[in-house]
Amino acid sequence: MVTVQRAIEMLGIPTVLITVEPEESAQARPPRALCPRGFVPGHSLGRANDEAVQKKIIMDALDLLLADPKPGEVVVRDYT
Amino acid sequence: MEKPLELSRYCVPFTPFKRTLADALVCLVSTAGVRAKSDTPFDKEGDNSFRRIDGSLSAAELAVDDSHYDHACIDEDVNCVFPVDRLRALAREGRIGGVSAENFSMGFSQALRELRETTVPQLARAVSGARPDAVLLTGG
Repeated sequence: MVTVQRAIEMLGIPTVLITVEPEESAQARPPRALCPRGFVPGHSLGRANDEAVQKKIIMDALDLLLADPKPGEVVVRDYT
Repeated sequence: MEKPLELSRYCVPFTPFKRTLADALVCLVSTAGVRAKSDTPFDKEGDNSFRRIDGSLSAAELAVDDSHYDHACIDEDVNCVFPVDRLRALAREGRIGGVSAENFSMGFSQALRELRETTVPQLARAVSGARPDAVLLTGG
């Protein structure tokens, strides 16, 4: 996933990744990444039909576009 | 002639974001094996292709082809891994500028060399062709 992200970023488009595998993602050095703590594959944005949490995670991820850069790091946040 | 330099994995590419989110056209890119229900399914055992997903489609019009993670959530709500309805809602609320006319997904593959040398560059160029201001990526 980070390979795709890095390739898009190299073409001049800012990117942010939502990952549930923070160690694996950090090793691949993402330009920007958010990990909802404790979430697992298949639930990257939380529970089914939980619109409020899903939107919150999206906005937190997009806000990383405006935050101080931390290239290569994965920002971990709690949503439970 | 020497080979062109390649980006070290220790180097992180970084494109500054120069807009506001309220003005930004956002493109969704996933590796979760998402596609339009009307499109050709991914091979769950390994597939190096990607799908273009019309940005006007709702999550209910999408399918997921994957056998490598828990699908209980996705079967009920594809937004769990591909939050296209939520992005559209955020656009309606004026919190982002809009959703790209095309979103994208790859499927599951372990053919890493082909991914790196062929699929990923093709996908990145296709994403660039949609001219988004920012890209949101999700895994499974």
